[in-house]
Amino acid sequence: MSTVQAETARAVDSGHRESAVLEARGLVREYGPVVAVDGIDLSLDAGEFLTIFGPNGAGKSSLLGMLGGAMRPSRGTVRIRGAELSYSDVGWRNRVGILSHRGFLYARLTAEENLRFYGRLFGLSDLDERVSARLDRVGLSDRAGFQVRHLSHGMRQRLALARALLHDPDVVLLDEPYTGLDPSAAQVLRTVLEELRDGERTVVMVTHDLRQGLQLATRVAIQVAGRFAWERSAEAIDTNGFESVYHRVVERT
Amino acid sequence: MSLYLRQIGAIVRKDLLLELRSRERMTSMAAFAVLAGVLFSFSIDTATVRPQDVAAGLVWMTLVFGGLLGVGRTFHLEAQDGAFQGVLTSPAPKDAVFLAKTFANFVMLYLVSLLVLAVFALFFGLDVGQNLRWVVFVLGLGSLGFVALGTLFAAVATGTSMGETLLPVLVFPLLVPMVVYGVGSTDRLIAGRPLAEVEGNIRMLGAFALAAVAAGAALFRFVVED
Repeated sequence: MSTVQAETARAVDSGHRESAVLEARGLVREYGPVVAVDGIDLSLDAGEFLTIFGPNGAGKSSLLGMLGGAMRPSRGTVRIRGAELSYSDVGWRNRVGILSHRGFLYARLTAEENLRFYGRLFGLSDLDERVSARLDRVGLSDRAGFQVRHLSHGMRQRLALARALLHDPDVVLLDEPYTGLDPSAAQVLRTVLEELRDGERTVVMVTHDLRQGLQLATRVAIQVAGRFAWERSAEAIDTNGFESVYHRVVERT
Repeated sequence: MSLYLRQIGAIVRKDLLLELRSRERMTSMAAFAVLAGVLFSFSIDTATVRPQDVAAGLVWMTLVFGGLLGVGRTFHLEAQDGAFQGVLTSPAPKDAVFLAKTFANFVMLYLVSLLVLAVFALFFGLDVGQNLRWVVFVLGLGSLGFVALGTLFAAVATGTSMGETLLPVLVFPLLVPMVVYGVGSTDRLIAGRPLAEVEGNIRMLGAFALAAVAAGAALFRFVVED
């Protein structure tokens, strides 16, 4: 067993834990002959923020898609607070918020109309207060009446974050949230994401941005060829030397 | 109001609002309806054929071809920025999503079908006054059956590389019963025949529409789930 494999084997929690908010067991996703995710186990408690790095094609977005119920696993299970995700029962979707590099926004609806639309789908009752508070939090109160097609990319991404958090999900899944953002938009996003580390939510973020990813994480994994090739607690990571670790892990696997 | 109905209402409202702002589908369907009515009126030699005798069939063909222009683009705006993925990962059940999108499409196509009727009444000299409300009812049933199948197969076609080209190939064979009973009813109602003569056709048309809606609601999740 290589050093990397041995370290990973110690770090991965493969047993069932009652306290786990988000749990995946033996997750596999196949696209025909291609295995995008190859038997990943995952167990995260409330307050944990897992950042997943990895090269293109490593299966990170597929993993996130399965964790969020956007795609069915070919094999394996996902549990949220102990309840296995069932595609016929959609109640658990209230517990998950997804922010993709695509915003899930309607270009010809205003920022406020987009949030109200999703709020109605989630059956939220205090919609006026929530929408107003979320727009304020992401700094878009003055753009509430603007159609999304008239907003900049950074503003759209902030609005997409407001949409993902509108229903106060227990589990937040972030797929490349920093893609295409200018420094000020990235700062707003980082501030909101830092607030997610409130000890109550569980966050999984996929990103290529090593610096941003390490700043927020409590745990870090490097996914290569559909597997977690390396995983650590953030406290055990030397931030300055992480880039070389990343390249080493990717090249060896 | 139950959450299910509120979710349907939210999607219908959103779809109609988007259409009101983009006018993408209604414009193309309405323009097609008017142009088809005008061209069909020139294509008939009135010395040998009475326009009233062929009007019902042409009304339904215009409705089907025109409707396909709009229904085929049901998921076009949804695909932008992955918005439909947001709907699918919300707690809204897939059958509620289907019913909502079908209803929004029905509102649009029904308005177009009334325009088609008006255009043909004008250019073909139809006198539907006696049975107008029944003709309008038959067009409503036909529109409902059509949009139910069209919405389902538009979702199928959206996920393929052939896209909108594939939609008529999938839908048209299934529309044969609707066209047969729809044309049969409309033809006799336009000719001023008594309602009793077309009751059977109308019942079959209604059964087709209900079956299409039920089948669509049951099958939609298999089409959209990844």
